[in-house]
Amino acid sequence: MVLEFGKGAFVVDDLRNVTIKIGEIAEEEEEWAPMGPTPMPGIATLRDWDFFLLKRYKPFYAPACDMCCLCTMGKCDLTGNKRGACGIDLAAQTGRIVTIACSIGVSAHTGHARHMLHDIEHMTGKKLSEIPVDLGPEIDEVAPLTELITGIKPKTLEDLERALRYAEEQIVQVVDAVHTGQEGSYLDYESKALHLGMLDSLGKEIADIAQICAFGYPKGEDNQPLIEVGMGVMDRSKAMILVIGHHAPPVLNIADYIEENGLEDEVDLGGICCTANDMTRYYQKAKIVSALGRQLKVIRAGLADVIVIDEQCIRADILYHTKKLGIPVICTNEKAMHALPDMTKEEPKNIIKYLLDGNPGCVILDPLKVGEVAVEVARARRKQRGDDIGPRLTEEQFMEYARACTQCGNCTIACPQGIRIGEAMEAAENGDRSKLEKEWDVCIACGRCEQVCPKGIPIIDMYNYAAWNLIVNEKGKLRRGRGPIRDSEIRNVGAPIVLGTIPGIIAVIGCGNYPNGTRDAYTIMDEFASRNYIVVTTGCMAFDAALYKDEEGQTVYEKYHDRFDGGGVVQIGSCVANAHIHGAAIKVARIFAKRNIRANYEEIADYILNRVGACGVAWGAYSQKAASIATGFNRLGIPAVVGPHGSKYRRAFLGRPYNDEDWMVYDARTGEKVRIEPAPQDLLVAAETIEEAIPLMAKLCFRPNDTTQGRSIKLTHYIDLSLKYLKRMPDDWHLFVRTEADLPLAKKEELLKELEDKHGWKIDWQKKKIVEGPIRGYHAGFNPTNLERCLRDGFMTV
Amino acid sequence: MMEMAVAKEEKFPTAKRFDIADIQVSREATAVKPKVVANMIKRAKRPLLVTGGQLLKDEKLVEFAVKFAEKGIPIAATAGSSKPLIERGIKPVSKTYTLHQITQFLQDEEFQGFDGNGNYDTVIFLGFLPYYLSRMLSSLKHFSKITTIAIDEFYQPHAKFSFTNLTKDRELYYSMLQEVLDNL
Repeated sequence: MVLEFGKGAFVVDDLRNVTIKIGEIAEEEEEWAPMGPTPMPGIATLRDWDFFLLKRYKPFYAPACDMCCLCTMGKCDLTGNKRGACGIDLAAQTGRIVTIACSIGVSAHTGHARHMLHDIEHMTGKKLSEIPVDLGPEIDEVAPLTELITGIKPKTLEDLERALRYAEEQIVQVVDAVHTGQEGSYLDYESKALHLGMLDSLGKEIADIAQICAFGYPKGEDNQPLIEVGMGVMDRSKAMILVIGHHAPPVLNIADYIEENGLEDEVDLGGICCTANDMTRYYQKAKIVSALGRQLKVIRAGLADVIVIDEQCIRADILYHTKKLGIPVICTNEKAMHALPDMTKEEPKNIIKYLLDGNPGCVILDPLKVGEVAVEVARARRKQRGDDIGPRLTEEQFMEYARACTQCGNCTIACPQGIRIGEAMEAAENGDRSKLEKEWDVCIACGRCEQVCPKGIPIIDMYNYAAWNLIVNEKGKLRRGRGPIRDSEIRNVGAPIVLGTIPGIIAVIGCGNYPNGTRDAYTIMDEFASRNYIVVTTGCMAFDAALYKDEEGQTVYEKYHDRFDGGGVVQIGSCVANAHIHGAAIKVARIFAKRNIRANYEEIADYILNRVGACGVAWGAYSQKAASIATGFNRLGIPAVVGPHGSKYRRAFLGRPYNDEDWMVYDARTGEKVRIEPAPQDLLVAAETIEEAIPLMAKLCFRPNDTTQGRSIKLTHYIDLSLKYLKRMPDDWHLFVRTEADLPLAKKEELLKELEDKHGWKIDWQKKKIVEGPIRGYHAGFNPTNLERCLRDGFMTV
Repeated sequence: MMEMAVAKEEKFPTAKRFDIADIQVSREATAVKPKVVANMIKRAKRPLLVTGGQLLKDEKLVEFAVKFAEKGIPIAATAGSSKPLIERGIKPVSKTYTLHQITQFLQDEEFQGFDGNGNYDTVIFLGFLPYYLSRMLSSLKHFSKITTIAIDEFYQPHAKFSFTNLTKDRELYYSMLQEVLDNL
C-alpha cells in the first residue's frame, strides 16, 4: 500500500498504542531519462510487437511428438493438427511445448541470478545496497537490458534485485498460462515464449553484472590474457579439481583457498561449461578442460581427483560414473544434489574424512566451505594415486572389447550423430584405430550407445583409449571473458554498424551438440573475423573454437584482437554474459542514435531489427536455456542460426521472401508504407552444414537501413561466401539490390548484366544505372519503422 | 497400398526407425520398394528432389542426384550440396535456401515453386542428416498434403513413403537408388 501526502502538516493526534512501521522507502528515482511507455511489461504489453514479428516470421512447427499426455483426459492424438480433449490443436500444443522449454531456460538463468545475489551477500558479508553497480569509467549504460525492460538504471545490486523480482513474477504468470485450459492459439503461446525470452535476457544481465561487481571480474577491458583450454591442459602431476556447471561462487572459494594457502603449484583447477568460464574471470590460473560436449569423456578419462558440481548441464548420471572411478563428488547447489547427504553444517575436516573414506560424495550448500573441502580432498587423493593418469582400459581390454563387438548396429541407431561405431570397432579389431580416433571429436559422449550395447562394451572408454594421444595433446588458448561492451567502443562502431560498413556482428554462442565435431566453431569465427565482421562469443562454442590453430599455430584468440570492432573476436564470458551482446545492440540505439532506451522495448527492438546487422549462431544448441536465449534475441530483433540438431526445438521463425505483405514497413520520413527486401529474412532457422550456415549468416546481416556503401560491402561478402561454399551466386542476391550503388564495385558490370539477362531488369548502360527492377529504390533519408506509434508520436530520443 | 509395401520375405531389411525413441501415434511411413518410388515420381505432376549435406561426404549420392536431374527431376540443393552438383553441370532450381526454409515454403499457400509455376505435389529427399530430415518430414506430415518420399538409407517414419532401413548394407541401398532411376 502506498500513502501519498501533499503539502501541509502530518499530525497524528490523540493516538495511543499505535505503531507506525516504515518498510521500504521508495525514493524518487533520478530522472536519468524520461520514462518510456512500457516499464516492467506484463504478458500482454508487448503483444502487438510480437504479433508483428509472428506475422512476418511465421512460426514453423516440426512437432517432436504428435500426442499430448499432460492431463488425465488424454493421451490425445493430435496428428494432422487434430484437436485433443481439451480442445488444443497440434500447432498450439507445439507452441505450448516451446513455451514450456523457454520457461525452463529462463528459470535456469533467473534462478541462477537469484542464487547469485544470495551468495554474494553471504560471501562478501555486504548488503546488496552496499555493492555499487560500477563497470568503470567507460561504461555509463551499465545495464542496458534492465534499463530497457524495467526502466531501472541500477546503482547498486539492490536495484538489480528489484528488477529480478519483476522477472520472477512474470515467469510464474507465463507458466500459469501453460496449464490445461488456458491459451488456445499458437500465436499467443509464441508471444509468451518471446516474453520469456526477453525475461531470460534480463535474468542473465542481472546475474552477470552482479558477479562482475561483487567479485571483481573484468569490466569490459580488451586485450584480455589467454587462458588454457583443452583436455590436455590439466597438470596430471598435481591434485586436480574438476568443476562442472553454471554457478561460480563456490568455485571462487576454491580459488581463494588455493591462493591463500599458496597451493598453486600443487593444485590444478579446471572446469567444464560456464562455471569454468566464470572462474577464469576471477582466477587466471584456472583452466578450461572442455565444453559441454566432452563432459562424459572428461569424467570417464578420470581427469579429476575430486569433482565439484553446481547447477545446469551436469550429467544426471554423474554419480553412476564417478562411483565406478572412485572420484568423490561435491554438490554445491540445491538444484542438483543427486541424493547425496547434506553435510553443510558439518566441520570441513569431518566432510574431508567422509569423502576420503570412499563415500561417493556429499552436498555442501555453503560456498564458503567448499574451497577447503575440495582442495584438501584433491590433495589427499593425489597422494594416493600415481604421478600420471592413463587411459582407463588396458591394451588387452581394448582389444578384447573390439573383438566382442558383433557389429549389430544398435549403437548407430541409438547414436544422435549416427556414428558407425561398429565399423570403427571392426577396424580397431584389425589394428586400425584411426576411425575411432577420428570419430572421437564427432561423438558428443551422450552414452546412449552403451545403454543399448548387448555386449556391454564401454564405448566411451574405447574412444578415449583410441584418442588418448589427442586427449593429452589437446591444448588451446582462449581469451579470458571480458564482460560488457564499453560505451566508448559503441561510440566508435555505432555508425559503421548502422550504416553497414562493418558488415555485421556475428554472435557465436551456445552449446556443443554439433553435427560434425568442434572444428566448425573455429571455422565460423575465423571466416567472419577475417572479413572484418565483429565476432562476439560466449559459452561452450567459445571454448571449442579455441582448440584449433591456423598454419602459423595461432588460435582465433591469438590471431584477432578482442576489441568490439571489425575483425575482432571478443570472448564475453559464460552463458549469462550473452546479455552483453543484447546490451551492445541496445547501446547502439542509445549512444549512436540517441534513442531513449528507458522502458522503451518495442521501439528499440524495432530499431535493432531495421538497423543493427547482427546474427547469432548456436551451432550446437541443445538445452532449454539455448531455446530461451535465442527467443530473447529474436524478440529484440536479432536473428539466430542453429545447427541441424536445433531443428528439434520444434519451432522456427521463418520469413517468406516472396510474400509482399510480410515485408511492408513505414518510412517515418514520409509516413508511407514501403515494400522492403527480406532483411533479415528469418529470425530462427536451422542449417545442416556450415557450408550452408556461413552464407546464410552473412545474408541475415542485411538490414533495410543499410547505406549503399554498407549494402555493397554486405553484398560482397554474401556473394563471395556463396561462391565459396555453394559454388554459385546466391539465388536471391538481386532482392537486396536497391540501386547500382549497392553493387560491389569490382563486379558492377558483371552484376548489372546478370540483372538484365536473368532477372529482366532495365539497365541504362550509358550511365550504368538501374532504371527498373528493384523491389524499392534507395533513399538516404529512408527511416524504417514497424511501429505506427512512432509515426504518430515520433521516436523517443534523449 | 499394401502391395506397395516391403514384404518380410523380400530382400529388404525391416523398416526400423533410426531413432528408436521417435515413437508416434500416427501411422508410420510405408516402407516401399524402388519400383514403387519410381512409379510415384512418374505419376507426380510437380515432383521435386531436395538434396542435403550428405552429398558433400558421399560421391555416390552426387552421382545419383545427377542422374535424377538427367531424368528431368528438378533439384533444390541445400546444405552446400549445390557445389558438387554444379561441378557436374547440374543447375539446381534452388541452392540458397535451407531444408528448413524449403519445408516452410512447401507448406505455404502463397508459394508458387522455385520456377513460379506452382507448388510441388511430390517431394523426394536425398542425402540428409536423418534427425534433421525427420523433423521436417514431421512438419509436412502434420501441416501439408504433400507426398513425401525419403530415399536415404534410413527409414524415415514421418515420410509418407520411405526406403526401409539400409544402414547395414550400403551396396543394397545404392542398388535401390539405381533401380528407382532405371524405372523412371
